[in-house]
Amino acid sequence: MKQSTNVTLLIVCIFLVTFCFSCAGRQKQDTTTTGAVSTQADTDTQDDTGEGKLEEVDISAKEFTEVTAQDPELAAIFQNIHFDFDDFSLQPGAKKILDTMAEWLLQNTAAQILIEGHCDERGTNEYNLALGERRANSAKKYLIQLGVSSKRIFTISYGEEKPLCGEKNEGCYTQNRRAHFLIR
Amino acid sequence: MLAVLCAFTAAPASAKVYIDIHSPSATQFPIVIAPFVKTGGAPDSAGTVTTIAGTIAGNLAFSGFFRVLDPAALDGRIFTGVTRDKIRWDRLAIIGAEALVTGSCSFAGKDRFSTELRLFDSVQAKFITGKKYEGTTADARLVAHKFSNEIFRRLTGTEGVFETKIAYVKNEGGAKEIFISDFDGHNPTKVTRYRSLSLSPAWSPDGKKIAFTSYKDGNPDLYIQDLYTATIKKASHKKGINISPCWSPDGKRIALTLSLNNGNSEIYVLTADTGNLERMTHDWATDVSPAWSPDGKKIAFVSSRAGGPQLYCLTLKTGKVTRLTYEGSYNTSPAWSPRGDVIAYTRGVDAVFNICLISVDGTYARQLTTRGSNEDPSWSPDGRFITFSSNRTGRKEIYIMRSDGANQQRITQGKGAKTDPAWGPF
Repeated sequence: MKQSTNVTLLIVCIFLVTFCFSCAGRQKQDTTTTGAVSTQADTDTQDDTGEGKLEEVDISAKEFTEVTAQDPELAAIFQNIHFDFDDFSLQPGAKKILDTMAEWLLQNTAAQILIEGHCDERGTNEYNLALGERRANSAKKYLIQLGVSSKRIFTISYGEEKPLCGEKNEGCYTQNRRAHFLIR
Repeated sequence: MLAVLCAFTAAPASAKVYIDIHSPSATQFPIVIAPFVKTGGAPDSAGTVTTIAGTIAGNLAFSGFFRVLDPAALDGRIFTGVTRDKIRWDRLAIIGAEALVTGSCSFAGKDRFSTELRLFDSVQAKFITGKKYEGTTADARLVAHKFSNEIFRRLTGTEGVFETKIAYVKNEGGAKEIFISDFDGHNPTKVTRYRSLSLSPAWSPDGKKIAFTSYKDGNPDLYIQDLYTATIKKASHKKGINISPCWSPDGKRIALTLSLNNGNSEIYVLTADTGNLERMTHDWATDVSPAWSPDGKKIAFVSSRAGGPQLYCLTLKTGKVTRLTYEGSYNTSPAWSPRGDVIAYTRGVDAVFNICLISVDGTYARQLTTRGSNEDPSWSPDGRFITFSSNRTGRKEIYIMRSDGANQQRITQGKGAKTDPAWGPF
């Protein structure tokens, strides 16, 4: 009786151990797949920040929170910056805001920042998604130049899909041509 | 369920050419739809007769090839029934019609009905074709579309688009969802329910799948949804944007835009079954919105390499890129005609946008729209019509028109801006 119980126990243990190994194996495989950067297409990626190939991380924008909701002091620092039509270069005003932002980020080293790139409603949706991407990355590159680690900076483009306002006038268009910042 | 009983067709296909679709559209072919006859049975409580006759008339008129005559002059002096022997052809000639459609409908309980539709050559007093349909009154428009295609095929020798579909994006309180409707906007069905941003629907050539970009998992990733099984798979989820899908004509590859290189958008080609990605553009500028040629040999796309966005053409075999548009400083959204000879696109002048055509060799361009701001052209599968979005009534809605700019009509209505139309295949 006791012997057969031991044998059963042994079999169960072996099974569990095997199962655990294969689980670990599978998980590892999954991580590699989602984190994969090694397709042929981007082996010629030249990251001009000099940091080499960036790890692909599937960020969920939902994990970042709106700054204005929390802290008025922070809200003053993490203001939107604005762009000219069909342009993604940083205006002097934008640079000033980013300077202050970088200062805060360098002091609060645990924080991470998500930069959203947006456009006004004029122009093709697809082109604007690409333009929003450029705007977010413009701001990101500037922060990196000021010393913020690229590993702390995430970007996402929303093109013209998430406007702040809907009026068809220059005032509203200007508001919408923005980069917006969230932190966590 | 709709049953088509192919009860009767004419003698061998007539050699007569009724409408020469290749000649410049000078005269329109005059056709008349006789008032339908209701035979026995229950009442036509859903107005099915009016729906069928009206939809056929609308389809034929929209195509631009037909002048649909007013049937008001047709009465008991001309018809005593719907078959050839019951028509006074000499009296019919007076109104100038060259073809005649007759219909008889009978209704039964539980919304069931059956209809016999016939097409005649009224000049030769000859029967061309006829069909008998059975179904429920909810099928009325489908019956009309099917018979419209039948008329179109018999008289032009080519396939009609009256049963095709259009996919588009609708704003529902801030979220964007993909819908599919009949080509005329009826019967809209919701395809995505992610309450996120789902954009840029692109039909697979066999019409069974839609590729689109969605933020439903946070990042703008590319998805393929099977319309029959409702299963969805993530086709591309690279860092950055995975947008603007366009299927190759053989359905095996998808051209798309990725920005995984530091936010610089480039054109890639994804092979659907292997997942292999091939990069097609290599430059510092923004490259976006690929559009495959119908012979599969070239891809038109948008690039800002000359400053503002312009159209370019990439030859896949050689990798050579030539510029297509030189007029204007903002040209985007290319859509290659299924006939291969022209590309529709959006041109912006002082932020007012219009649909334009340019010949593939770049020598000839023309503007098709003039009212409001118009974007995102997409071709019908026969290359005769274009769908696009326009804000000319205030809110962005979906429109269809002939490829020469004629017969522009709105097909959507109601709350929520509608954009990104994509015309489905046959």
